[in-house]
Order: sequence, then structure tokens, then C-alpha cells
Amino acid sequence: MLSTYLPALVFVALGAVVGGSFAVLNQVLGPAKSKLVATGDPYECGLPSEVKQGFRFGISFYLIAMLFILFDIEVVFLYPIAVELRAFGTFALLETIVFVVLLMVAFIYVWRRGALEWK
Amino acid sequence: MIAAAATSIKAPYIDWAAFSPIVALICGAVIVLLIGLLPGRRVREQIVPGATVLTLLATLGLTIWQWGENTSIISGALAVDRLSLVLNVVFVATGLVTVVMSLRERATVQAGQGEYYTLLLASLAGMAVLVAAQNLVTLFVGIELLSIPLYVLCASELQREKSLEAGLKYLVIGSVGSATLLFGLSFIYGATGSTDFSGIAAALSSKGETIASNPLMLTGLGMAVVGLGFKAAIAPFHQWTPDVYEGAPSPITSFMSVATKAAAFGIFLRFMDVAVIDEALTWQPLLAALAAITIVVGNVGALAQTSVKRILAWSSVAQGGYLLVGIVVSSAAGLEATLYYLVVYVVMNLAAFSVVVARERETTHGDSLSAFAGLGSKRPILAVPMTIAMLSLAGIPATAGFIGKLNLIGASVDGDYAWLGVLIAIGSAISLAYYLRIVAVMWMPDRRGDSPETDRPHGQPEIIGLAIICSAATIFFGIIPSPIYDLVRGAGESIGLL
Repeated sequence: MLSTYLPALVFVALGAVVGGSFAVLNQVLGPAKSKLVATGDPYECGLPSEVKQGFRFGISFYLIAMLFILFDIEVVFLYPIAVELRAFGTFALLETIVFVVLLMVAFIYVWRRGALEWK
Repeated sequence: MIAAAATSIKAPYIDWAAFSPIVALICGAVIVLLIGLLPGRRVREQIVPGATVLTLLATLGLTIWQWGENTSIISGALAVDRLSLVLNVVFVATGLVTVVMSLRERATVQAGQGEYYTLLLASLAGMAVLVAAQNLVTLFVGIELLSIPLYVLCASELQREKSLEAGLKYLVIGSVGSATLLFGLSFIYGATGSTDFSGIAAALSSKGETIASNPLMLTGLGMAVVGLGFKAAIAPFHQWTPDVYEGAPSPITSFMSVATKAAAFGIFLRFMDVAVIDEALTWQPLLAALAAITIVVGNVGALAQTSVKRILAWSSVAQGGYLLVGIVVSSAAGLEATLYYLVVYVVMNLAAFSVVVARERETTHGDSLSAFAGLGSKRPILAVPMTIAMLSLAGIPATAGFIGKLNLIGASVDGDYAWLGVLIAIGSAISLAYYLRIVAVMWMPDRRGDSPETDRPHGQPEIIGLAIICSAATIFFGIIPSPIYDLVRGAGESIGLL
């Protein structure tokens, strides 16, 4: 009964050994820790990862993120249609063209209104 | 294997002729948005509204072309029948009036003409989709397409705090309503296994169980009614109405109070009278209670207001209660009475709002009652249309509102809900108190002598013209009601009511 757990135990042990040794070896062999603040952050650009209440950030972040979602969704829809286009036929192609044209109108709009310029 | 399954997918047959009014609205919205990007003042102030009007006229033409059609299009997602076609005419007419009201509106400048009119057309497209929807998914798409542009339009007067507040409030409360509706629709789908209205009706009748014995369906229907109640401003889901109506730019308030209401009641009618009609005995008491609460709350709420837009907001809640009575009785007569009253309500409410818009621009008093003081002697050309609109909203004979209420009371008596008919009469009696207050302020000699001067008496011939046309129509349809009867006749039969 207990032997059925053996692979899992081996897996846990291996994980602990490999993970632990990497952490220790990094400490011993790696270069001395940089004093730069940025390298301590999960992301070295963009917003600080820890913010206090009342922190204000530029509206441009929000705007770009929102526009990104729009074009992100476009890709989400285009991939499956591209893969199965033969099966779906002309109708799907026409529908996709309508969809892309509408998104292009949206793109022209945000571009001409200057929403893509970083302020 | 996936490819093999996919080969069975067939494109739905699309009847482009029947679909054309909605396509025209959406194409128009896209074109207006792009025109709005062109440089030049003339483009913004003349070509953009002009293109909007052209779009609306094209939609009207295509709607009339399809008149008499009674089909399901796009795999049964949309129904093109008398109900949706009549409401399309109502939407286009309201759209045209809103464009004229907006011509000198500050909001169009602050939000950008292209954006403003595009959002208006997009919202109208949503309404056209909504009232034609006979599938839960189309219903939700329609309601979101209607609402999202309206949230923005409410906040389109960017430099006035109240307008922004109205937009945000409408967004938050509208989202709660949409979420409730969507939750309810998913329960209905879970209980019946169909998103199609006729499929839901078939599932309910074939299982041989009532809604009341099926908790899933009961919850779903309840939540769907609450969600639609938010959109239609039915008490107790009406609290947003006065604040949003007061804060939004007046042309948008007027648009919301008539077009949104017509759309919400259009889908209410179709959903109740097609999808769950066999269970009418279960939901009738629920809607009857809502109608009663709405009539009382709307009329009592209006009594203490001093802002005309707030009075009209509460009055629109009360009118929503009257409209609901036609849905409660779930008969062809009830549906046609509701549709009749919707058409009439649009005409008389637009007359009232034209005067409010005109007065807001002429004085510094905004939409407060004092802006109307002494209007009768100073500007009878505005006071007379406002008086007619108020009397018609109250249901005085020889106005269109009277015939409309008569139909609703008649339908309620025939449908064994005579007490609701009595309540309509009582509600109208209470409503006289606030409608006549506006009339009194306009015509009674002002003792305090603080009636506002017409500070900015620049001519607004288009708004005055609107007020006169709408009020003349109110009187005309009050004396000769047959054109509207002809318009709505057959709407009940077209969706299969007796």
C-alpha cells in the first residue's frame, strides 16, 4: 500500500534536493548581491510593485492597457478561425473580415485621437 | 477528428433585407465616427449631424420597406415582426429629435461631435437588436449595446460634475442590473436547456411542470425580471432614475426617458409573451405587484421635486408602471395597449423635454421650476406646448395620453386585473398635483416677481419647432387616434398572442 506512494515521495525528495541545491549554490558561487533597488523588483520597468494607498499613476497606463485588451481579443478570435478556416468556409472568412474591418476603424480612431501617444 | 466535426458547421442563412435596418444603423455609426475625425469646424458642426440624420432616414426607409414582414432571421436570433418594426420607427423618430436637440448642446462640443453621434447611433442599434431579440444571447448583446454608449453619453458634458456623476451612477447601477439579468438568463438556460424563446416555451410545456415547482426556473425568471426592471426603471429598481436624468445633458435625458424605456418594454413584452407565456398565471401576480408599486412610488416621488427634469424622471417611473399593466394581462389587447401608450408617451415626453432644453439655454436657472415662472405671458410659444405635454402626461381627455390610458385600463379590465386599472386612475389623479404645478407656475401671475429674464434670448427655432410639432401631434392623436391604432394593430398576433 505504502509502496504506491513511493514515486510521489521520490518526486518530493528530488524536488527538495534540486531546488535547495540551486538556492544554496547560487548563494555560494554567484556574484555578490547588487545594491541596485530595481533588481529586487519582480519587474524592472513599469509601475512599482508595492504601492501605498493614494498612489497615483498616469492615466496612460490605463488607456494603453484597455486598448491592449481590444487587440488581444482580436488575436484570440483570429487564431481558431485561422486554424479551421477550410472547415468553416467562406462565411467564416467574410465574418472575420467584417470583424477585422470594424477593429481597424477602432484602431484608426484611437490613432487619430492620439490615444497611442505617451503623455 | 476536430476537422471532421467542423465540416458539419453550416453558415446560417441571413435574410439581408430583413436585417438591413440594423446593418444601416451600425454602418452609419462607423461612418459618422470616421467623418468626425476629419479636420474642420464645418465637418464637426454640419456634416456629422447631417450624416447621422441620413443614417436615421435610411434606417427608417428600410424599416418601412420591411413593413408587414413577419420572419425570424439569422437562425432565429432576431424576429422581424410588427412589434420590432413599430419600435424601430419609434427609435428612429426619437433619434432624429435627439439630433435636433443636440445641435447647440455643449456636450457635443466637449465630448466631440463624432463620438457623441456615433454613440447615439450605436445605442439605437442596440435598441433595434434588443426589441427584435428572441434568443437569450441576442437579448443580452442588445441590452449591452444599448447601455454602454448611454453610460458614456450621460457623462458627455465632461466639464460639469453632475454629468460625470450621472454617468458613473448609471454605469455602476446599470452593471448591477446587467449582471443580475445575465445571472437570471443563465438559470433559465440551465432549467430549460434552450436559449431560444420558443425553445424555452416548448421545454416548459413539455416537462409538464410549472415554473413555481422548478426552483431553477423560478430563480432565473425572478432575476431576469429584476435585471430588466433596472433598465426599465421599475420600482423598486428605479432609484438611479432621478439622479441620472437630472445630471445627464438634457437631450440625452430625453433620449433615455423615451427610447431606452421603449426598448426595455419591447423586450419585456416579447420575453414574457413568448418565452414564458404558458406560465402567465405564475408571473402575473409578480408583475402586477411591481406595476402597483411603480405607479405609487413614481407618482408620490414626483410630488416634492423642484427640478423639472427630476419631476419628469419620477413621472417616467410612474408611466413605466402604467406600461407594465399591459404586460401583466399578457393578452394581445394588453400588448397593443402597451405599444400604443409607448408611442404616445414618446410624443408627449419629447414635447416636454424640448421645452426644458429650450428653457435651459435661455435662462440661468437651469431646469429648476423657477425657470418656467411667468412663461405663459412672456413666451407663450413655449408655454403652450409644455402645458399640452403636461395635460397629456396626466391623461386629460382630448390629448393622446388619455386614449393611451383608456386602452391600458380597458386591457386590464379584460384581463381580470381591474384593480390595476383603478390604480392607473388613482395614479393619474395624484400625478395632476405635480403636472399642474408646472402649468400653474407658467401661467399664474408671479407674485414675488422673481421670474427669470430670458437672459440669452438667442433664437432656437429648431427646438421651438420640435416642441410645437410634438405637442400638435399630442393633440392630433388625442382627437384622431386611429393612425396609431393602425400602427400597432396586429403586433400581438405577430408574436402569437390571442
